[in-house]
Amino acid sequence: MKRTRLISVLVAAIVAAACGSTGGGGGTSGNSYAGKTIKLGAILSITGAGGVYGPQSRDGMNLAVDQINKGGGVNGAQITLTVSDDASLQTQSAQVAQTMIQSDQDLALLGPTLSNSAVAVHPLAENQKTPILAVSTTGINIVPNCNFPSTVACRYVFRDSLGEETAIPDNIQSYANDAHPSTGVLLVAQDDKFSSDGGKIVEATVAKYNINLLKTIKFNKAEADLSPYVTTAVGLHPDVIFITSLGGIPAKIMIEARKQGWQGQFLGGNGFNTATVSKNAGAAGMGARSASAWYLGNSFPSNADFVTAFKTAFGHDPDQFAAQGYTAIKILADAARRANLTFSDLPGDRDKLRAAMETVNIQSPLGPFQFTSTHDVKQTVWVIKMDGAGGFTLVHEIKAS
Amino acid sequence: MGQQILNAIFIGSIYALFAVGYTLVFGVLDILNLAHSAVFTLGAAVTYTLVVNHGQSFWLACVLGIVVAALMGLVIEYVCLRPLRRRRAPPIAALISTIGLALIIIAAIEQGRPGTLFAWLWVDGANPVTMPPGTFPNPTWHVAGLTLEATKLAVIPISIALMLVLGYVMRYTQVGRGLRAVAENPRAARLMGVDVDRMIALTLIISSALGGLAGILFGVALGDISPYIGRDSVEVRGLAVIVLGGMGSIPGAVLGGYLLGLIEVLAVVLLGSNVRAGVAFAALFLMLVLRPQGFFGAQLRERI
Repeated sequence: MKRTRLISVLVAAIVAAACGSTGGGGGTSGNSYAGKTIKLGAILSITGAGGVYGPQSRDGMNLAVDQINKGGGVNGAQITLTVSDDASLQTQSAQVAQTMIQSDQDLALLGPTLSNSAVAVHPLAENQKTPILAVSTTGINIVPNCNFPSTVACRYVFRDSLGEETAIPDNIQSYANDAHPSTGVLLVAQDDKFSSDGGKIVEATVAKYNINLLKTIKFNKAEADLSPYVTTAVGLHPDVIFITSLGGIPAKIMIEARKQGWQGQFLGGNGFNTATVSKNAGAAGMGARSASAWYLGNSFPSNADFVTAFKTAFGHDPDQFAAQGYTAIKILADAARRANLTFSDLPGDRDKLRAAMETVNIQSPLGPFQFTSTHDVKQTVWVIKMDGAGGFTLVHEIKAS
Repeated sequence: MGQQILNAIFIGSIYALFAVGYTLVFGVLDILNLAHSAVFTLGAAVTYTLVVNHGQSFWLACVLGIVVAALMGLVIEYVCLRPLRRRRAPPIAALISTIGLALIIIAAIEQGRPGTLFAWLWVDGANPVTMPPGTFPNPTWHVAGLTLEATKLAVIPISIALMLVLGYVMRYTQVGRGLRAVAENPRAARLMGVDVDRMIALTLIISSALGGLAGILFGVALGDISPYIGRDSVEVRGLAVIVLGGMGSIPGAVLGGYLLGLIEVLAVVLLGSNVRAGVAFAALFLMLVLRPQGFFGAQLRERI
């Protein structure tokens, strides 16, 4: 009898262990997650030059958190997301990151919005062995070499935003194939990393497509009036004006150039890809082309649900930055689900999450999502153009190679 | 080159109009009102919000934008300046208090989003916006290779006319004499029956109304209205202009404004775009080395 009871107990234990090892839908123990909290911190530019983009990222993230929590959380654990404004300032961005990592004890971070801030924040997160997922930084040397000029790959830094090193050449190639322009002028803001990186990429790309870059015109973001620069550019009669800059500047350049009678093509980078820029440029921006990580009408199955949910929640269409913010939360939730977190050993949990992020493979509004071996995004690129009324229309779809 | 000269005259007019308000306060009070750039922003933001979010006519909105800016001048006087003056605080204290108010004004505007406390003031957060097309008539002509845009052309005579009116008021009216008396010697002015506090309040009203108008003209003509236009576009330049012209001198501010506009544009044309700011401020530095008191600063007691 005793022997039968012992065998029964052993069998029950084995069954329980087996259930535990496959529970939660991801190979982790569901019980260890139930009632726990997964703390995430997002460093976004809600005000300042990046304030055009940060609020959209925030709304996308909040939507994803809300959906996940209402759907039972991550194996039963609820996500809490703290969004802090870095005012588009590098120093404030680093201070916020430090607080989130050390005082708030967040499991992982998202952001910051601007590449200029990322050069301070990402090395900090790497040093503190805290996973950080960039959602809108597209400059050079974001991943994997976040400690540039060191070439040692950063292990804790990931990015779900489409780098300008992919977006700008794809856009130039697309337009060169369509229209065969022969001359161009580059207008580039020289005082932030995102813009100046974009300018370098344009300069390095144009010759490949037989475009003669007549002049590179550099300016600072805090210029009162961009007209003198635009007058200089228009006076050279280029086929294309390339603009690599942030916030409201691309729209100001477009409006001024059209007023001065220039009829050529505007090409740009990620700085174009938000409704604010398209809306401000209005008719002057009609046809301006850029390559985007996301397109409102893309046919990926999870995009339609995302767009509908976003419009219901916020009353307007999402943009690329909202889609990337939303996807970032889904990525972290998927990784957390599979990471077998302990909730008692923060450094250990951060490392487990980092490892799980490397094998993320989910459906997202950006399409099927995986990281490359360098923690960069691997996805479809959408070449879009402004429709003159605050929106964008699709020009080309370039599948991930 | 003709187009670039036009660009210089246009932006010079904005600089001059902004700097005249700046220098007026310095001339009377001997302090720098660093909330002036926030008032510049406020004028543009209020005008935009009245048109786009409250459905007011453009012209009425412009008038109300100037009125709100002028009232903010009173707030500057009653909140930032008068209490410190009563306590005989040094000028640096007033400078810091005006910086504080500027930060509050900008923060209030950038927090303005739908559903927030400041939604009545602004709903676009940090976003730059432009007046919707058709809000005001803005024909553009192309003449002899020049692009002539109505709003930018209008800024030039409006600015010049206002500066002439201000100059006339200061020189030939009783109010102007009162202001100049306060600038010269507040104690003597008080003994002569001038209501000094009232004159200072009036100075802040006039200065802020001009600053608000400069913001409206800037925002409308350049299609750029955001919480940061004052801070990014005119704050430091305005300071440079009044130093160039002579601290406290209205003619100096006018001349300095146009000169800075011209130097900036010529730097782009002749020396390359990436050195614009450097050239402009190198010229300013040179000017100060050669003539530290600025163009019209020789007789400091006769300022404004």
